[in-house]
Amino acid sequence: MGNHHKTLVHKTKRVLGLFGDFDEAFEVIADIRRYKVPGLTVDDVTLKSPIEHPEIEDVLGERPSNVPKFAFWGSLFGLVFGFLFLASAQANFLAQPSGGKPIITIPSNIVLAYEMMILFGVLSTLVGFIIGAKLMRKSTGLYDTAITVDQIGIVIEVADEQEQPLKDLFTKHNVIEVHEETLK
Amino acid sequence: MPSLLGNIFKGWADYSKGNEEGGHHDYEHMYALAIDLDLCTGCNACSTACYAENNLATVGEDKFGARQAMHWLRVERYFDEPDMDKIEETNDTDTQSRGASFLPMMCQHCNAAPCEPVCPVGATYHTVDGLNAQVYNRCIGSRYCANNCPFRVRYFNFYDNADSWPAPMDQQLNPDLSVRSKGVMEKCSMCLQRTRAARDTAKREGRELQDGDIQTACQQTCPTSAIMFGDLLDETSAISKIWKRHQVKLGVYKQDKENPELRGYRIFEELNVDTKVLYLERVREV
Amino acid sequence: MTAQQNPAQKHLTQEQTKDIDENIEWAKINADVLRSMENPRRGYWVAMFISVALFSVMIYAEVHQYMFGMGDAALNTSHMWDLYISTFVFWIGMSHSGTLLSAILHLVHADWRKPIYRFAEAMTTFSLLTAGIFPVIHLGRVWNFYWVMPYMSDRGLWPNFRSPLIWDAFAITAYLTSSVLFLYIGMIPDLAICRDNAKGWRKKLYTWLSLGWRGDDAQWRNFRFTYLMIACLLIPLAVSVHSIVSMDFSMSIMPGWHVTTFPPYFVAGALYSGCAAIITLFILLRYFFKFEHFMTMPILDKVCKLTFVIAMVWTYLNLVEFASVWYGHDIPSKEVLLAKASGPYSPFFWGMMFFGSVLPFALLSQWIRRNMYVLFFVSVFLNVGMWLERWMIVTPTLSLGYHPQAFNTMWPGWVEWAMVGGSFGWFGMLFLVFVKVFPSVSMYEVKEMVYHRKRTVYEDVDEMMNLHSGVPGPEPDLGSAPAPQSTGGA
Repeated sequence: MGNHHKTLVHKTKRVLGLFGDFDEAFEVIADIRRYKVPGLTVDDVTLKSPIEHPEIEDVLGERPSNVPKFAFWGSLFGLVFGFLFLASAQANFLAQPSGGKPIITIPSNIVLAYEMMILFGVLSTLVGFIIGAKLMRKSTGLYDTAITVDQIGIVIEVADEQEQPLKDLFTKHNVIEVHEETLK
Repeated sequence: MPSLLGNIFKGWADYSKGNEEGGHHDYEHMYALAIDLDLCTGCNACSTACYAENNLATVGEDKFGARQAMHWLRVERYFDEPDMDKIEETNDTDTQSRGASFLPMMCQHCNAAPCEPVCPVGATYHTVDGLNAQVYNRCIGSRYCANNCPFRVRYFNFYDNADSWPAPMDQQLNPDLSVRSKGVMEKCSMCLQRTRAARDTAKREGRELQDGDIQTACQQTCPTSAIMFGDLLDETSAISKIWKRHQVKLGVYKQDKENPELRGYRIFEELNVDTKVLYLERVREV
Repeated sequence: MTAQQNPAQKHLTQEQTKDIDENIEWAKINADVLRSMENPRRGYWVAMFISVALFSVMIYAEVHQYMFGMGDAALNTSHMWDLYISTFVFWIGMSHSGTLLSAILHLVHADWRKPIYRFAEAMTTFSLLTAGIFPVIHLGRVWNFYWVMPYMSDRGLWPNFRSPLIWDAFAITAYLTSSVLFLYIGMIPDLAICRDNAKGWRKKLYTWLSLGWRGDDAQWRNFRFTYLMIACLLIPLAVSVHSIVSMDFSMSIMPGWHVTTFPPYFVAGALYSGCAAIITLFILLRYFFKFEHFMTMPILDKVCKLTFVIAMVWTYLNLVEFASVWYGHDIPSKEVLLAKASGPYSPFFWGMMFFGSVLPFALLSQWIRRNMYVLFFVSVFLNVGMWLERWMIVTPTLSLGYHPQAFNTMWPGWVEWAMVGGSFGWFGMLFLVFVKVFPSVSMYEVKEMVYHRKRTVYEDVDEMMNLHSGVPGPEPDLGSAPAPQSTGGA
């Protein structure tokens, strides 16, 4: 999430503009990319939408996500922990041979460690998702139920002097509604 | 937990061995049976003795017919080829002109028992005495072991059979052994309680166990002494002598006998389950 | 039946060639699906009553079995397993459809899965919950079932990890957890929609469940990766789960069970019965909730074709198993196969062969694929065939085996039938509650599908006619996109 142009401007407000479709919202973002509002860059933009647009990376730029890392490390942990846990349990003092098979049977441990790998992979992906998507937190309050129907929202934090240019830009692209809240 | 982890590395050489590599533990004893089918008359005394010794429930005629009986040792009856002329003459297919062969079948205590690894809670395992043990307290009754037994010698308590012994018949129960509740699997244990008792006696008297100290109930009762029991690891025991005489070895699935006329054989040997009951084939008329 | 005569088939004539009408307004998608969650009508309560009744019979049978032992289930020394295990395998099998639809088709970008995968995923979860009943109730000492869990006991006892039943326990736990999470995570944007439109206890429930979803691009991005990761993890898991369940049989030495093709055979059978169940539920949901716009006939068509393909895979693996038995010298296995075909269980064996291998050819007929009444019964009988398959795996082997003194023919008792029927009641209960509390069509995915199709349509038109959007062409009128509030995308 590289915010290369760290502005020293103090942000006072958060503004939400609701648009009728992706095209108009993307026009706004394109204008922000062209610095139509001084001090605002595309990295300041948060897009709220009812669906994810297939080409969102082209519009907003590359923004990474940590979820694959969680999935990988979680799976690896599950695999290793699973095998060691099982082998330890099998090697306990009550180790009873059965069926002419060894005490620590590699084939069955592989099967079980595989299952543990996937289980822990899924659980850690879930954890990564909740952390990365910032779920389960108190929301900012700046939200409109129309976002879950069919409107696209653009949320930007602005300083006092950026507020009006931004609102003008919104109006230029047929914004349906504008909400705002003051940042504490 | 650290000690458990340590166990893996400490015991790795041991823990990774299967039956073909010599197995995990060094057997202290290897109890086995030998049954001479030529001496067996099919009298069922062994089966009855097993019922008495091991607190087996008699389930009644209906349940027996539905195959829910509890006989750990069952005497199987096999008929020879029927005499077709006699049958045509008398129109009677039920009566065989030649006699039946009898085969007492009980848990074979396989060294590589297929029933052992499939128990989900580990209620059956192989002991240091070479016996296949069934731990009644641990059994949750999933019955996979019974499905996997090729000899079908595992019996499940489908009912609470306490009404088999209405008072005062419950006085006859063997106190050395539990009465199993419903939901528990059971099978021949080679009279493990008698082994324990004999060991205790030997210890008390300050001597080693000798061949003949332990007698299973079936062995004790057989009128023709068709059943032999003993420790294969004891070179002097009768059982190891008979196994040697009939050139039957453990740990192989096909015997390589110098004299193929020898009567000793194991049942379902080709399944590689390494059973420990030697059957001596019935001598047939030529 | 023409469109005029059969109201269930109206609106069909326009959409009969397209998977979905790309001009559906997104607000209408929301409204239609949310309307399905309103207070139920009489038919729903009747279905619920039947489910609860079946389930109560199951409870009665289980209490009887708990108190008196397994004997009344007609089990005996030879037949230690019967309908409990075969129904268990049946339900696990049915659960694979959701994974197939959600995860596998997601990875290959088959977007026609979008309107139907939600209820398929729900079916997966509830099948697993139903299947999970059977390993518990088939135990002789049910109250000790927790001993199969690997916990630090004060005696240092652990379960026997060498047992395929333990592998079952681990695999099903992992699969159930993953499926529930997959269903839930995929539902989060929809739960946000429900939250925005709910009142009362529902609003509280959805607010809590949607975890504060606000539709931010960061949330969507993480969501996309999460869904992809779990889909990638779930596919090998689903394959391994049913393979492991098949190992309950293939790791045994019994003739007829010790078959190396069991893992793929079971997985193919699972996908098969899952797809057939999808057809059944598709027809029911489409009819009762009037989802004709989303669960369209072309999509049903595709599901039927997929079912046919999987049926052929299953048939092949089935015949391969028979062929290898016939070819080999293993006499007990041959006897088991002959007993299946000509012994006391042969009517069920041939029923299985007919319903499993011959009946799917009905799916090749376009008339049948369009006729929902016939298709409903076809799909139900396909599943009957699959249930018979599981029964014919378990019982004939146990009726023979190696030892001739153990040969025995056994028929299930009332306790077992009660449990089998009751499992359907339990599944029905869970599913009926689901369709009224959670959206059974994925609203945001349908919007994505509509959006994608609309863009693709117009991109093609642009290329073809060298025009910009907004000019009326042969396609439905885009220029009539009216006041900003009610558009359905670009």
